[in-house]
Amino acid sequence: MLRLWPLSRGLKARHVWSLAARCSSTAVPEKIEVFVDDKRVLVDPGTTVLQACAEAGIEIPRFCYHDRLSVAGNCRMCLVEVERSPKPIASCAMPVMKGMKVKTDSPMTKKAREGVMEFLLMNHPLDCPICDQGGECDLQDQSMAFGSDRSRFTDMTFTGKRAVEDKNVGPLIKTIMTRCIHCTRCIRFASEVAGVDDLGTTGRGGDMQVGTYVEKMFKSELSGNIIDLCPVGALTSKPYAFTARPWETRKTESVDVMDAVGSNIIVSTRTNEVLRILPRLNEEINEEWISDKTRFAYDGLKRQRLTNPFVMDDKGNLVQAKWEEALTVAAKKLVSVPGEQIAAVAGGLVDAEALVCLKDLLNSFNSEGLCTEEIFPMDGAGTDLRSNYLLNTKIMGVEEADLILLVGTNPRYEAPLFNARIRKCWIHNDLEVALVGPKMDLTYEYLHLGDLAEVLQQIANGKHPFSEKLGKAKHPMVVVGSTVLQRPDGGAIHKAVTTIAQNARVKSGCGEDWRVLNVLHRVASQVAALDLGYKAGVEYIRQNKPKVLYLLGADEGAITRDDLPIDCFVIYQGHHGDRGAQMADVIFPGAAYTEKDATYVNTEGRAQLTHVAVTAPVLAREDWKIIRALSEVAGAALPYEKLQEVRDRLADVSPNLTRYGDAEDANYFKQSLELASLVKDNLTSTPIRPPQLNLKDFFMTNSISRASQTMAKCVHAVLESEKKGKLS
Amino acid sequence: MSKYIEKFNNLRTIIKANGGLKGSFLQLYRTDELKIGDFVGEDKYGNKYYQNKYYFVGRSRWVQYVDKVNMDYDGSQIPAEWHRWLHYTTDDPPTKVPPVEREWIEPHTENMSGTPQEYVPYSTTKPKIESWIPPRKS
Amino acid sequence: MASSRVAVIGTKQVKPILSANKTEAKRRVLNLYKAWYRHLPYLVKDYNIAVTVPETKAKLRELFLKNKHVSDIRAIDLLVIKGQMDLVETMRIWKQKTHVMMFFKDTNIKKPTAFLSRFYEGHD
Repeated sequence: MLRLWPLSRGLKARHVWSLAARCSSTAVPEKIEVFVDDKRVLVDPGTTVLQACAEAGIEIPRFCYHDRLSVAGNCRMCLVEVERSPKPIASCAMPVMKGMKVKTDSPMTKKAREGVMEFLLMNHPLDCPICDQGGECDLQDQSMAFGSDRSRFTDMTFTGKRAVEDKNVGPLIKTIMTRCIHCTRCIRFASEVAGVDDLGTTGRGGDMQVGTYVEKMFKSELSGNIIDLCPVGALTSKPYAFTARPWETRKTESVDVMDAVGSNIIVSTRTNEVLRILPRLNEEINEEWISDKTRFAYDGLKRQRLTNPFVMDDKGNLVQAKWEEALTVAAKKLVSVPGEQIAAVAGGLVDAEALVCLKDLLNSFNSEGLCTEEIFPMDGAGTDLRSNYLLNTKIMGVEEADLILLVGTNPRYEAPLFNARIRKCWIHNDLEVALVGPKMDLTYEYLHLGDLAEVLQQIANGKHPFSEKLGKAKHPMVVVGSTVLQRPDGGAIHKAVTTIAQNARVKSGCGEDWRVLNVLHRVASQVAALDLGYKAGVEYIRQNKPKVLYLLGADEGAITRDDLPIDCFVIYQGHHGDRGAQMADVIFPGAAYTEKDATYVNTEGRAQLTHVAVTAPVLAREDWKIIRALSEVAGAALPYEKLQEVRDRLADVSPNLTRYGDAEDANYFKQSLELASLVKDNLTSTPIRPPQLNLKDFFMTNSISRASQTMAKCVHAVLESEKKGKLS
Repeated sequence: MSKYIEKFNNLRTIIKANGGLKGSFLQLYRTDELKIGDFVGEDKYGNKYYQNKYYFVGRSRWVQYVDKVNMDYDGSQIPAEWHRWLHYTTDDPPTKVPPVEREWIEPHTENMSGTPQEYVPYSTTKPKIESWIPPRKS
Repeated sequence: MASSRVAVIGTKQVKPILSANKTEAKRRVLNLYKAWYRHLPYLVKDYNIAVTVPETKAKLRELFLKNKHVSDIRAIDLLVIKGQMDLVETMRIWKQKTHVMMFFKDTNIKKPTAFLSRFYEGHD
């Protein structure tokens, strides 16, 4: 067995140049002069010929080379002629030298490319018509551009082409290994980015095979990305198999809501149906990766949908109704009770527009009972200071950090792309990670400090050996999981963490610009809800026993019928028939994130827009419109009718909510600490335990992914493979 | 003169065969036609079939729909076995050569178009979006 | 010079198209109206349109009254000629059903504009 490019921390040597280029502003290394097709380019020393050509605006064909992966140099497609070199060189692996003269269009280069292409095609099946990569295949495109116009492949002896057995790597990735051209991008992705050393090669030459050695599932939360990476159709999406060609689909840029990271995505649709979800480049958030839940949970958008309004009849059954009827029933109830007895709970997939509408609606009825399902400690400064609940350093901040303390979070499953960023920096930037919480596989090594909350206290007091280390760090980060703050002693933990962060900030001398305290949320709506002034947690509802409860996509079961008085009237608005819809008296069908123009704020506090990719099914409507219509039926019409007017209202309440793409800095850490000092230190001795510890916990976390069959298959496959692992 | 008497006698016979003046008037109202012929048989719905080779082929066999349907008579009310005789596919009426009974033959139904029982085509493709069906309590 | 020409044009007697005076024009209009009126039952039958004869009569009246403000004799004559042509085209079945139904165009349902009705309709 051969493990390609064993990744030790020594790999960072390759990045010394780029690191040096970034860090030391005093000694700028001299630029090297290179000529690409007689065009003069100045590049940093250490860049490859391929990059230099890119700088000159010439794209070199490649299969194995990828910006975000290590260099393999084995596909040979990037061969170019260099003057005074007897043979063409592989431009992706060759660093530039002074005065190098690269010829990218010479007969020699062309012949080299043609030859490589001929060899590749000799070992590649001609099944483009039935291949899912057709239309977006690098091999197809490049053979058109650089290949020979006729074939010399004559199988005179009828030996047949190379054929490789397909591998079963789980319910997400379909493998047709005969199509594989051994670029090893998937192997490098698995070991470098995903941190799972499952893939590798066996054999050599014509017998080389890419696979998992023994048949097993490729267990990673980022596994879907190897589908995008594969330049041919060897790795394709299993749920998308034989569905559509890329030129038939409509692409809509959007934002993911499966976690609080807010990955940028492209929604591919055809005939009003979401066919697949692909990542969209955003260096500040998800680079070009997305998690499997983001990529594959879309089939949940087609199942268990609320497509009609429902009203409870006399027998206690929910029956389909018209909008007029449902709205009238709900409005009558709203009007009939005093304002204090109306309350609302916002779930995890709700957009900012709906949140602000609901808040305005309830406020116009003199109700302040607006809560979110996710709990956040309200002691001390609570949610009054934005810096208390944001990922203040931003995801990009990880790149500069040199020490991260993770508290009660498992970023690998709570925010896979944040975790991928940490791993990237752990490999390349000398980043060190410490963890307070149970031991788990984070795909990188970390210093385990125990799983008791007392440890935090000790670090805060400076009694723990780690606090010294924290003080020495130049750019420390403290990342707190939102779940650990939901414990009964959440306030005290928040206080301890705030103290740790503030101490580290003072000691490290990183200055005012560097923020230490970070909160990592789990759901997409939480930051927007807190920005708009929702109460975090449903404690208010438990105490006040409302007569009318408005559930806005609240499906996690934070409030059940047992918490409410018997005669409580429950209105549910959302897109899936889940826990919330089951306890409702009236149901309003809303739109899912692919069906509306909506604002979502990620855990950094970055507002982003989703766009309408498909229309909401049957009678479902955009969420803010439902609330606006209800307000009009109830006789307290909200003062906006158009989306733009709602956005203006959003900007009135919190201007950052409409500054799309920007993550605004939050401050007041000192004040927050002062307020936090009022909180009592009543830490409990229960160990800190984030809820998602294994891969099987990752897949089904919200109403969309719970309705998804693909996600159910994933959970099943993980359980099966664990069972198999135990047996052997 | 005798020619006219014969014609008149014919008319009398026809009117008599159709149930007198009133019956003939009703028959004319329903079918716009007064005919006389030999009774061949009756199907299970009560439609009566007649034949008179005096009329030429195409008009020589006819059906007298059952009185119950009144003006709502329709060609599809004739069962298959009589249909073949009526349309000269065979000369043997089902009274003489009864149809072969087979297990798989569905009972005859008339065309229900235009009534509440009419057939309305519906889509058999699976909907793209499956709706949630609320659980029933009672 | 120029001003005198304007004066000449202003006072010049216009050449009549058909009618010499208002009474004559009115007679023509009434004749056309009667001709249409008499044809309406046949129109409904010929074109097999889903409107009743009284409805067509009301529509005829409405269409004639639409031009009641026209006082220029030449304009009235032109309208009468156009109406006659239209009648001939209708009578000789040079038209199709849709062309006749175009008289009843206002059955087009207008899109709702108020927020709530837009919401019920599902319009954006």
